[in-house]
Amino acid sequence: MNTLLPFVIVGLTTGSLYGLAGVGLVLTYRTSGVFNFGHGAVAAAAAFLFYNLHVSHHIAWPIAAAITLGTFGVFGGLVLERLTRTFVGAAPAAIVTLTVGIFLAIDGTLFISSGDLTRHFPAFLPTSGFTVSAVVVSWGQIISAAVALLAATGLYLFMRLTRIGVAMRGVVDDATLVGLTGERPNRVRKVSWAVGCAFAAVSGVLLAPTLGLDATLLTLLVVQAFGACAIGLFSSLPLTYLGGLVVGVVAAVATKYLTKPPWSGLPAAIPLLILVVVLLTADATKLPGARKAVRGLVQQAGPLSRRTGAALLVGGAIVLLLVPHVVGAHLPVWIAALGYIVIFGSLALLTWTSGQVSLCHMAFVAVGATTMGHLTGDGVPWLLALLLAGLAVVPVGALVAISAIRLSGIYLALVTLGFGVLMQDVVFGSFLMFGSGLTVSAPRPQLGFIDGSNDKWFYYVALAVAVASCGALTAIYRGRLGRLLRGLAESPTMLATNGLRVNTTRLIVFCTSAFFAGVGGALLISQFSAVNGSAYGPVQSLLLVAVLAISGTRLLRSAILAAFLITVIPGYATTFDSDHQTLAFGLAAIVAAVVLASRGRLFAWVAKASADSDDRAARGPVADRMASAELVSR
Amino acid sequence: MADGLEATDVRVAYGGNVAVSAATLAAPVGRITGLIGPNGAGKTTTFNACNGLLRPSAGTVHLFGRDVTHASVADRAQMGLGRTFQIVEVCDSMTVAANVALGLEARLVGGNALRQFWAGKAQRRQIADATEKAMELCGITDLGAQPTSTLSTGQRRLLELARVVAGGFRLLLLDEPSSGLDAAETEQFGRILLRVLADHGLGILLVEHDMALVMRICDYLYVLDFGQMIFEGTPAETQDSAVVRAAYLGDEGVA
Repeated sequence: MNTLLPFVIVGLTTGSLYGLAGVGLVLTYRTSGVFNFGHGAVAAAAAFLFYNLHVSHHIAWPIAAAITLGTFGVFGGLVLERLTRTFVGAAPAAIVTLTVGIFLAIDGTLFISSGDLTRHFPAFLPTSGFTVSAVVVSWGQIISAAVALLAATGLYLFMRLTRIGVAMRGVVDDATLVGLTGERPNRVRKVSWAVGCAFAAVSGVLLAPTLGLDATLLTLLVVQAFGACAIGLFSSLPLTYLGGLVVGVVAAVATKYLTKPPWSGLPAAIPLLILVVVLLTADATKLPGARKAVRGLVQQAGPLSRRTGAALLVGGAIVLLLVPHVVGAHLPVWIAALGYIVIFGSLALLTWTSGQVSLCHMAFVAVGATTMGHLTGDGVPWLLALLLAGLAVVPVGALVAISAIRLSGIYLALVTLGFGVLMQDVVFGSFLMFGSGLTVSAPRPQLGFIDGSNDKWFYYVALAVAVASCGALTAIYRGRLGRLLRGLAESPTMLATNGLRVNTTRLIVFCTSAFFAGVGGALLISQFSAVNGSAYGPVQSLLLVAVLAISGTRLLRSAILAAFLITVIPGYATTFDSDHQTLAFGLAAIVAAVVLASRGRLFAWVAKASADSDDRAARGPVADRMASAELVSR
Repeated sequence: MADGLEATDVRVAYGGNVAVSAATLAAPVGRITGLIGPNGAGKTTTFNACNGLLRPSAGTVHLFGRDVTHASVADRAQMGLGRTFQIVEVCDSMTVAANVALGLEARLVGGNALRQFWAGKAQRRQIADATEKAMELCGITDLGAQPTSTLSTGQRRLLELARVVAGGFRLLLLDEPSSGLDAAETEQFGRILLRVLADHGLGILLVEHDMALVMRICDYLYVLDFGQMIFEGTPAETQDSAVVRAAYLGDEGVA
């Protein structure tokens, strides 16, 4: 037992902070309906602010902590509350886009201001301590755990004893009651966002000394909080806090036993495993919002006239065929864009037509890329390997989808984000994927007279694959699956009562999307000839979602535009590095999400404005009717 | 009587609140069976238990002789049980014809993974034929190319009926098809229902508030009140029943 005790103590300390972060997350989720994927980013930003104040500017830690807390309390209560207000009852895809945007914007800012390096975060709490049966417990650990416990208990009492607290409790129990409590709903939300962000800030500042000042690590704190939230079934605050303790202790004890790779990555993934187990076993009616209909957001393009269509086709073909002769040394950028078109097309099919959000698409791409590398290495012909690489991702996609498909969009997004983290932590290093060196290479194709090692030739090969994939995606969308998905978006109950197993349809579209993501990955690895696992992490997956949202909700047009944004623009504007991209795309995604959530109102406003305008009254059908009415009355 | 729907002692409770206690009814193929009762009697709840949207806490449901108490909504639909909704479930962004076709398409796909992608030539023709016939039968052929969002309530009810007719179901559950319709539309709807029954030889279980319609088209009636079956019989017997009148008008009328 004594050999376990140190791990239990560490687990309890970190676990109480996970629990605190989880409580903040559940509180804001239940009162606003917005699940904040950027919760961990708030914690990270708080840790950085505290570091700057305390370490760089030598401000005493209690004052620095007070400033940090105040800043993020106000930031949460004013900025985040205002941002999320429009999202009450919005489609999960819009909500995910918003908070992913928040995540990326904060992450990008942190990277730009402080660089990618992990810095040592000095312990500001006392490290001296006392001994319990030969195990040293530091005062710092005690203080951390006590602060978390006090904050959680304080919230509990606040929600029992104060008027607004009671209103908050009512809202957490039943969010639809927000307008009926007699409290102004926005005030309730403001308080809970302020409290939620302050809790995130506390856990960020207190976790930083153990985790180090690593923006990515702290930002993904949200994954640790998932496990805690899952144990509290995303609704009970005390259970969430206890859940944090469980997650912390289990993960810490696991580090004692799971020390050899690839299992050494597993302890970090334990909160995710808890999440998956809960989502697989929990009664869906007990999870808030799990039964909400998943709405597609796709905008259907009006049919083009035959002449416009033909002109676009010919014009597009000429431009695409001429690219290698015009762009010169920038050709690799354009080849990469072709790979990304396939990837974004797969994501657009999933996100916009079926309303399901995947936050692990880069993991699918990575599986496709590495399979391509291994297969071509074993002498499989290039084209066959490309196809097999896509097929290899299908079971992976099915695995993810099955665990969350019976629940609605937000829980699917949760599972996929966690899955992306799990893949990077545990599977990427295995021989099946990138291996211990985290690098895999693949050759260019040699197809008859076509010499793929020549960039120009390979451009045309990639173009053919991209065109074929886009054609296939369009055919799927226009065919039966597309019809079923559009029906599913409006009335899943109707389709089920007509005999369709709707979960099979959802699974199928997930697997289809995974297939094309794999093909895109296989194209990319052939272009770069070798790829590194670090390019396929969860943050990159979030970036994909953000860029796609910026590019609109059409299928092909959005995919092409998104690929252009993520490859061609940075390829030419070299100062637009990955950190600035993260920030810019994050901010743009926030705007895109707001537009997405208020699209109905926006369209209504435009329609009303144009209907009210003098121009239309003077010349439109209204005027005609008025004129004919006058004729009749005479 | 194995050919049709049989619910035996179905009980549905939400927590401690019993919505339906011991409902027993039979809706055989070849006739229109009515399920009537005052507001909140549990008619829609009984419906939902019959087609699988709700799991009864006790009792059994048999469909064409098979026990389907634990079967899913889609499975029951595959066996030939179709339904419409009190609040019409249609896809507003599609045309009327596309909506009607989607019903049969969903039924043909079922849970088959490959059929989700491809509609073979034979199936496409089958869907087109069934859609055309159903729309003609329901008198909405002219509306085929219109977007559904422009339809009136009456037209939407007909669209939903056409969808289940095209779906080729052998037993239809219709949930208050005349609510929101005016007298002329209700009259027309009743005529169409009788035509559907004659043409397709199917069975219909009808929840309805419009007594004139019920008395005219139903062959047999069940009366539900406060979650209990209080009467069953032919329309004429039902009209004469003191128990039924008490349920609808209150006790004073008969005391």
